[in-house]
Amino acid sequence: MADKERVSSSESLRSTRTFGKVRCHNPSCMGRITPPPGSKQITCPTCGMTYRLFWVTPELPRIRGPVWDVNRKLAQETLAKKLETPDSDSK
Amino acid sequence: MALDRKIAYINLTTGDVEIKPIPLEMRKKFIGGRGMDAYLLYNHAPEGCDPLGPENPLIVSGGLLTATCASATARTHVMAKSPLTGLLGSCNMGGFFAPEMAWAGFHHLVITGRADKPVYLWIHNGEIEIRDAGRLWGKNSTDTQWAIRDELDDEEVKSMVIGQAGENLVTYACVMTGIKNAGGRTGLGCVMGAKNLKAVAVRGTMDIKIAHPVDALEHNKKFIDQITGAKVNQIQGALGTPFIWGATNCWGGVRTRNFQYNQMEYADEIEPEAIDDYAAETMGPHHMTGCFGCQVHCRAQYKIQSGLYKGKYDEGPEYTSLGAFGAEPDCKSIETVLTGNHLVNQYGVDNLEIGSMIAWAMELYELGILTSKETEGLDLRFGNDEALLQMVHNICTRTGWLGNVLADGGIPAAEKIGKNAFDYLIQVKGMNNLHSDERATPGLALNIATASRGSDHLRSRPAIDLYHLPEPVLRKIYSSPVPYEGPLSSEHTEYIGKPWQVFWQENVYMAVDCLGICKYHTVFLGATLPNFEDWPEVIYYNTGLEFTPKEIWDAAERCNNLERLFNLREGLTRNDPKKGDTLNHRYFDEPCRRGAPDVIGKRIDRDKFNVMIDEFYEHHGWDQDGVPTTETLKRLGLEKEPTRLL
Amino acid sequence: MDKFLTVDADKCTGCRLCEQVCSVMHEGVSNPAKSRIQVIKWEQEGIYIPVICKQCEDAPCMNVCPVRAISRDPEFGFVKVDHEVCIGCRSCVGICPFGAMGYNGDTHQVFKCDLCGGDPQCVRFCEVNALEYVSANRVTSQKKRKGAARQSAAERQAVALG
Ligand code: SF4
Ligand code: SF4
Ligand code: SF4
Ligand SMILES: [Zn+2]
Repeated sequence: MADKERVSSSESLRSTRTFGKVRCHNPSCMGRITPPPGSKQITCPTCGMTYRLFWVTPELPRIRGPVWDVNRKLAQETLAKKLETPDSDSK
Repeated sequence: MALDRKIAYINLTTGDVEIKPIPLEMRKKFIGGRGMDAYLLYNHAPEGCDPLGPENPLIVSGGLLTATCASATARTHVMAKSPLTGLLGSCNMGGFFAPEMAWAGFHHLVITGRADKPVYLWIHNGEIEIRDAGRLWGKNSTDTQWAIRDELDDEEVKSMVIGQAGENLVTYACVMTGIKNAGGRTGLGCVMGAKNLKAVAVRGTMDIKIAHPVDALEHNKKFIDQITGAKVNQIQGALGTPFIWGATNCWGGVRTRNFQYNQMEYADEIEPEAIDDYAAETMGPHHMTGCFGCQVHCRAQYKIQSGLYKGKYDEGPEYTSLGAFGAEPDCKSIETVLTGNHLVNQYGVDNLEIGSMIAWAMELYELGILTSKETEGLDLRFGNDEALLQMVHNICTRTGWLGNVLADGGIPAAEKIGKNAFDYLIQVKGMNNLHSDERATPGLALNIATASRGSDHLRSRPAIDLYHLPEPVLRKIYSSPVPYEGPLSSEHTEYIGKPWQVFWQENVYMAVDCLGICKYHTVFLGATLPNFEDWPEVIYYNTGLEFTPKEIWDAAERCNNLERLFNLREGLTRNDPKKGDTLNHRYFDEPCRRGAPDVIGKRIDRDKFNVMIDEFYEHHGWDQDGVPTTETLKRLGLEKEPTRLL
Repeated sequence: MDKFLTVDADKCTGCRLCEQVCSVMHEGVSNPAKSRIQVIKWEQEGIYIPVICKQCEDAPCMNVCPVRAISRDPEFGFVKVDHEVCIGCRSCVGICPFGAMGYNGDTHQVFKCDLCGGDPQCVRFCEVNALEYVSANRVTSQKKRKGAARQSAAERQAVALG
């Protein structure tokens, strides 16, 4: 039955797989960042969030976790700002 | 042939066993696995039956593709009315049980009645025997399995068992197989316990004829390449599901301290890489294992290095154990996480539920709603590792006032504890939420609110929504096999188009569960993983059955509607805080306080949430109360249910 | 024969995909009981060991066969059974020190690994490389043959003594 040459949509999306990059975890940022191979840490050029890296394979980096001191400070500043204008986010 | 696997009806009260073939037209309509289970449950559970009574049918199944030459067909599905929620009880586990049951000749078991003393089922190449389990009662989940192998003198026997939690009727007891594969949610181990059924043991050497073996083999290779080529599965294969917890915690989507926070800060000791190092230290560099026929191998092996359980071998931990023994009780010790994980596997209790229950009790204790009088002196504050592990014992053995109360499940416990305890219970339909926080992700919030088995992430979660995929990519995925022209948004903090995504995912996951394959082999965490368009070939090569993508979609929708009908029959109403498609008020009232800057301040907007629910119902062809319309039932051929054809 | 099927049990995840594809390849059915490779497990400790025919140099199965149905494939060097000649006495099943000779109760024939005629499917599907089909140069090749011979000779002795 099946046409063996046919390419399904999930297969066609395979070409969009990008190795060697991570995405910033900040929702509206989500910028793709290309860390230098083997590097241990990276800062998002757009929003300043800073991450520790883990290399699953030499081509596949992953964000291991936040650099807590940096990101926590960013978080607290944002929280203070949002508490001044409490309803900015539920609209 | 997969198609000649049978269904067996076993009455534990009378000892009667009846074996029947599964007609082809039922396959076309309900495929198999969870979908067929939904049909059987709707048809065999009397309306309003007592979940712990003899009439509640316990349905055990493999999927249409189980043990065929397809990728990762390991999953066992179990259904019954849930003693935890009073609604649909449904759970799914990996391992090696369902394939062995298929080789023994069966795809579905419908177990009713109640034995007057502990028994287990012995199913071997088409034969079914009810055997005495007196010597097994009281044993933990792994000892039970090894004892059965000894008794039957066959190391290849696979068993689905309960531990002590199921015997003690903890309402969220699991069914277990292997070291840690658990049918965790909705308390079906409790149903087994109530039936005096300690185990179902299977062993089979019967052929499953492959319809087109050469094509099946070649296609499987191609399929596996697509699956293992996905980044998400490569990470999964290295770090297991803790990687999801780690990533989610990084941006602030992990439920912490019951619901006080959305992130566990400075959690480095229990982050995925730390667990991986621990596993490597104790089990060597090749410490990942997996389920039948799977090349993703997402499960770590480890040995506990210190403490009371030093030297004990176990597998995992999964995301949920990090939630249950990490962020929720606010404990940061890797030893606690791994010990907690070991305890739940041995007792056979749902790690997700027990972790949530204890975290809830901890918040109540800190608020003074529970006092040291109820805890009998136990200092049940957040961050107390010892109290946490003690409560696991107390609940599973129903020891002490609080252990006993918490073992009954969230809603009954809230009633017994009184005051406003219920307000702090983070549940949907009586089942606790995954240890994730959906305040910044409305699509995911809609998913847990509407999931058919109560709060759940494996029923309809549009997890790929988190990847900020460009709109054309989203459209490509979400517009097939049924066209969708409505709005879609790459922003996962938005409400736009999410109802359709959740609806679409609901059908994908149902189809996966009908086929009996693992969700990591479909579009769950990776956008490039197989879905409807990819399955017809696999089904055809392996079974000879012809389906179009749209027919698979229709069958999935049909089965989802059967689950809905069951829930409605058993009392679901849209806005009921205990049985409805609702969320705890804290989702709407308390803003996120931690995580990425764009997550901070986020909470779910009540009005927009309601509009999402409206839209979600509309996509289904349900009315504003969430009831399928007559036209919808007709369209799906469900207007005459229950038809009792099986 | 310049290629060997090697097993590195350390790497094995215990998935049994090799059993599945082997039985599909040879019998057109999924049934581990008919697979030429079998994964023996100690689940309590998380140890999985794929067991497979070693294609022994001094093969006990070949030696024991009363009708000389077992011989070595000249091209790929594996030990093979000629089912035309085989009388189904199962002597080979009993004597194989590794349990690598199987018996199919449906066809009443013995079966064993034939390296899939040079393209081993189990190797192809085992992505963690617990199974490999590797070229060996003459030296290792001889070493392996000697090792295998020693093992089977010792085994023969043990059988004789026991
Ligand atoms: S991905 Fe993990 S859970 Fe799924 S089948 Fe493979 S090992 Fe099992
Ligand atoms: S396919 Fe490879 S990893 Fe899986 S059981 Fe066989 S040898 Fe082990
Ligand atoms: S090489 Fe072929 S015949 Fe031998 S065990 Fe592997 S799959 Fe089976
Ligand atoms: Zn950024």
